Amino acid sequence: MTAPSPHVDVRAPRFAAGLTSVVLAVALLTAGGWLVAAQALVFAVGALAGLRFSPYGLLFRTLVAPRLGPVREREPEAPPRFAQLVGLLFTVVGAAGYLLGAPALGAVATGLALVAALLNAATGFCLGCELYLTARRALPARTA
Amino acid sequence: MSTIGIVVLAVALAATAAAAWWQRTRNGAVRAVPDDDEEAGMAGSAAFERLGVRPADADLTVVQFSTAFCGPCRATKARLAQLQTTRPGLAVVQVDAESHLDEVRELDVRRTPTLFYLDRSGALVGRSSGAPRPDELTALVDAHAGVSG
Repeated sequence: MTAPSPHVDVRAPRFAAGLTSVVLAVALLTAGGWLVAAQALVFAVGALAGLRFSPYGLLFRTLVAPRLGPVREREPEAPPRFAQLVGLLFTVVGAAGYLLGAPALGAVATGLALVAALLNAATGFCLGCELYLTARRALPARTA
Repeated sequence: MSTIGIVVLAVALAATAAAAWWQRTRNGAVRAVPDDDEEAGMAGSAAFERLGVRPADADLTVVQFSTAFCGPCRATKARLAQLQTTRPGLAVVQVDAESHLDEVRELDVRRTPTLFYLDRSGALVGRSSGAPRPDELTALVDAHAGVSG
């Protein structure tokens, strides 16, 4: 946290959230457990390796960004990267639900991930980022 | 087509629309703090004191809680810094929420950014969760720490 975090084009996470929403909506309609698992893998790469390596980020840089014009604004990577981790948790539960014979659990977890992704795509609001503190303060105090 | 999938999708779309509406209209709105909540007020002032807040030094002191995973915190911080350049009566205290979890619990901070607004007497005149709207923030600052004639 002391090292300066890399910066990303603000439009990249919005694009990724939009694509994620489409993937999760299709997965819900088809009860596609493997599709949810694929999305979980995309989240895992973004969360663990960094947004530079995220497949959706790559797609944005190579196909979308050249058509949109120059970068106008950049933001630190940490908030959208944390959002990938939140997405990963929900999609892992969703994929496990579908693939291990609990389709209702699969659908609900996938639906929750969809709400967060769609809200991010539509308004730029990062639900997981804002509620991070709620989760953090529930853990035992470790006041520095 | 999965029936349960269609139902969940419909609920998810409705929930997203409701959340987007709420985010547009209510997010970051400044709420008044009820006077009768005296016990909470006392606990709050002790927490502010530990954070190094000195309300007596300025007309209005804004205390902002942020985390590293918070995009809107940056924009709010920049806006407050900008307001400070033209309003000498405004003081700003930036708090890293994660390293002050005791105060976070005492003041019941759940999201970031959360802002507290204190007048010169140390009374809490309001609080807001989420990035405040620029015009509302400016109006509140001017009401307490504006350039007076």
